[in-house]
Formats: sequence, structure tokens, C-alpha cells
Amino acid sequence: MKSLRINGQVRQFAPEEMPATLSALLERLGIGPAAVVAEVDGEIVRPEEFARTEVREGQTIEIVKFMGGG
Amino acid sequence: MDKLVIAGRQFDSRLLMGTGKFASPQVMAQALAACGAEIVTVALRRVDIGNPQDDTLREIDRNKLLLLPNTSGARTAEEAVRLARLARAATNINWVKLEVTPDPYYLLPDPVETLKAAEILVKEGFVVLPYINADPILAKRLQEAGTATVMPLGSPIGSNQGLKTRAAIEIIIGQSSVPVVVDAGLGLPSHAAEAMEIGADAVLINTAIATAADPCEMALAFKLAVEAGRRAYLAGPRAPAKRAEASSPLTGFLRD
Repeated sequence: MKSLRINGQVRQFAPEEMPATLSALLERLGIGPAAVVAEVDGEIVRPEEFARTEVREGQTIEIVKFMGGG
Repeated sequence: MDKLVIAGRQFDSRLLMGTGKFASPQVMAQALAACGAEIVTVALRRVDIGNPQDDTLREIDRNKLLLLPNTSGARTAEEAVRLARLARAATNINWVKLEVTPDPYYLLPDPVETLKAAEILVKEGFVVLPYINADPILAKRLQEAGTATVMPLGSPIGSNQGLKTRAAIEIIIGQSSVPVVVDAGLGLPSHAAEAMEIGADAVLINTAIATAADPCEMALAFKLAVEAGRRAYLAGPRAPAKRAEASSPLTGFLRD
């Protein structure tokens, strides 16, 4: 199994099901349009870069959105 | 009414609205329309992987309104800077409401961390609107660091206590060369009017509108209060006097 730490939780993927890119990962998790920006191992990734950002075993990923706030 | 100018950008409305705590995106949008705010604050949070559909902000027309991301949740300068950078990457807007609130009970802002974060963010080209306690010296230091406004609190966030810090805010207004936005704690339109009457440039309201029984009506009430307060300030109010001053003539009475 390959693992990713996503928003603080470890998720396991069978090697053949491991998403290749951030876009593929978001699609797999069903959170495409909600995400406005991401962080991969501390590096900011803009939405327009999701499709060409590779996802690799062991990475720490933060997927972030806007919500109501004061 | 005269325009509000922040970092060279003009606004007709002097009421900024926060978008938290609304019952639904629709109610938030209605309140937003009713209060006429042109700057709306939003928070940055992790997507809830189990419930990704929550999209409070879909009702905000970003062509008409300026989205102002906040750094809420940050407990240190480092965390605030990280959130600000993420928000900028998400919006392509370099405006940020800087807040660093390590104390969860009163949510009072940390002055040292706020100043530290402001210095970093200004250097990185951000338009920084810092949320601060009503501390005139801190306000000056932030202004010198290059922040676009200062945003002193009236009372703790969401407390509805009103303008408890009035005396200190009057000093800040007297000294400030950047707009002073009174943020936090204003629970009634009269509180907002009071802040505007003493010369605040704008106010930021969230809880008082969002948690009212009728948010839309409360939003309109705040809009009117902010306009009334601004107009009163521009009209030049007279100072209170110790004794009466007759409004009617003191001559020509119908007696001998």
C-alpha cells in the first residue's frame, strides 16, 4: 500500500490506485471544485497547477477551501 | 457620502461584513445585499473530506465584491503568514485581514505576533489589514510598518458588548494616517453609529447580523446606522456641555 497524509489523516492506496496527480487525487476524494488551494509538503500549489502536480508516496497534503468567517 | 479609500481603492460602503455563522449561503447573500458591503471577509480552512460540498461562498459575486481572506485560527506570526500566502495563491488578491488570536477564550489578538506578521507580509507585497486590540502605540507601529488600515476591536469578537474601548479608539483615530476600521464586538446598529460618529472610517460586522433573528433586516439597520454615524461625524457634532443651553429664545416671554 502507498500512503498519503491528507488534511491530517493518513490514507492508504493500493499501488495501482494511487492517484498520479493532485487533480486525480481531488477527483478520487470527490472534492474537485471545493478546493481553492493546496499545500504539498509545505509548498503552495495553485488550482491551475493541480493537474501537473505529481503526487508521491509519503507526501503531506493540505487541501484548503474558503468558508464563512469574520 | 464620501468614499472610503483603502490602499488606493475606493469603496462607497463603510460597512465591511463577515460571512461566518450564517444559517445558509442564501441568508448570507441576502444580508450582504441588504447591508451594501463591498468588502467581505472569509476564512481559510481544510476541506472536510467527508463533507466536501459545503460551499458557503458560492453566492458571493467576486466581480463586484472584494473578498478579504482572514488568517483566523493563527496562533503565531508564522501560522498567519502561511495562511496569508495560501489565501493569496487561492484568490490572486493580495489583501489580507491579519489576525493572530492565541487565546481561545477571549480571542484577543497577540500584539507581538501581529506586528511581526505584518512586517513580513508588507515586505511580501500584501495589503495588510490587521485586527488589533485598541492600543494606540501598536496602531502607530503597524502604520509605520506599512499596513493599509488598523482594525481595533470594540470588545471581544462576537460578544455584542459594543464600543468598550471607545477612549483608546478615539486616540487611535486622532493619530492615524490610515483608515481605522472598528472590528469586533459591535452588537447593535447604535454601537456602529457611535464608532462612526467619533470618526472611525469604517466598521466590520459579522455576528450581530448573522445571528439576528432576521439577518437581512439587521443588515439594513447596520447599513443605515453606519451612514447616519458617518454623516453625523462629517456634520461636526458639538461637544457635550455641563449645563443647559436654551434652544428657544430667552426673550419675548408672555409675562411681565
